[in-house]
Amino acid sequence: MIVGEQKPLADIKKMLNGCHKVLVAGCGTCVTVCMAGGEKEVGILASSLRMAMRLDGNSMEVDEVTVQRQCEWEYIDPLADRLANYDAVLSLACGVGVQTLAQRFPKLWVLPGLNTKFMGMPTEQGVWEERCQACGQCILDQTGGICPIARCSKQLLNGPCGGSQNGKCEVNPDTPCAWQLIYDRMTALGLLDRLLQVQPPKDWSTSRDGGPRRIVRDDLRLPADYQST
Amino acid sequence: MQRARRLLEEIGLQGERVQMFNLSAAMGARLAEIATQMTQQIKALGPNPLGQRQGESNTE
Repeated sequence: MIVGEQKPLADIKKMLNGCHKVLVAGCGTCVTVCMAGGEKEVGILASSLRMAMRLDGNSMEVDEVTVQRQCEWEYIDPLADRLANYDAVLSLACGVGVQTLAQRFPKLWVLPGLNTKFMGMPTEQGVWEERCQACGQCILDQTGGICPIARCSKQLLNGPCGGSQNGKCEVNPDTPCAWQLIYDRMTALGLLDRLLQVQPPKDWSTSRDGGPRRIVRDDLRLPADYQST
Repeated sequence: MQRARRLLEEIGLQGERVQMFNLSAAMGARLAEIATQMTQQIKALGPNPLGQRQGESNTE
């Protein structure tokens, strides 16, 4: 899932400066699951804003809505008529959701209520960890299902480095050494010999280094003359 | 509870206005003690500033 974290209320208040009517918009997918921007968090943030603004003598109106998914046109289109009533929309979606709203509604001022952090998973209640960096060329088959790009601080393909101490990373002693995990796992799988193969430098052109990425599936595209009924 | 208190602080209300105590139904004396303690604490903090603001806007 995409993991996000709510911005401090003070930062949000600053962004909303000058607004009289604001819609707090949640997303029912990733940020609901990581408890940062779902219906519940929208309710808490909207209430907090109403109270904080009132304490400041500001009569800003704050409304709430949560859609199933903010990153697809079909889920945000039903909001179209409603959005015209607001000075700004404070989106509690990830950066993708914020940009989807902004792109679909060019005259709408869309503001981010979250800091989008990473793609990851909950490892225990209240703890989320990064697992994928979307490098565009998955090598998990070679590393026992543990990603050294996302989980090794140095993104080494032939680790570990000399900073691996007692299974921990020298960058942060709370971070497990990804290469220690890879060695342990490959040993358990009986595949340790595969790590003897030296990996060549990675082609980073499929990652961010190649600029913004795009996938086109001709088998799924609609014909140019397609008209929905 | 920590989160609720932090939230109140962020909003601009004193976090001490909310507290949680765990006690059983058989601990009447302790309940009275806590209630007295909370009452004193809230009185010392003064009226809820949000309520005061509400009062101001109602009289406008």
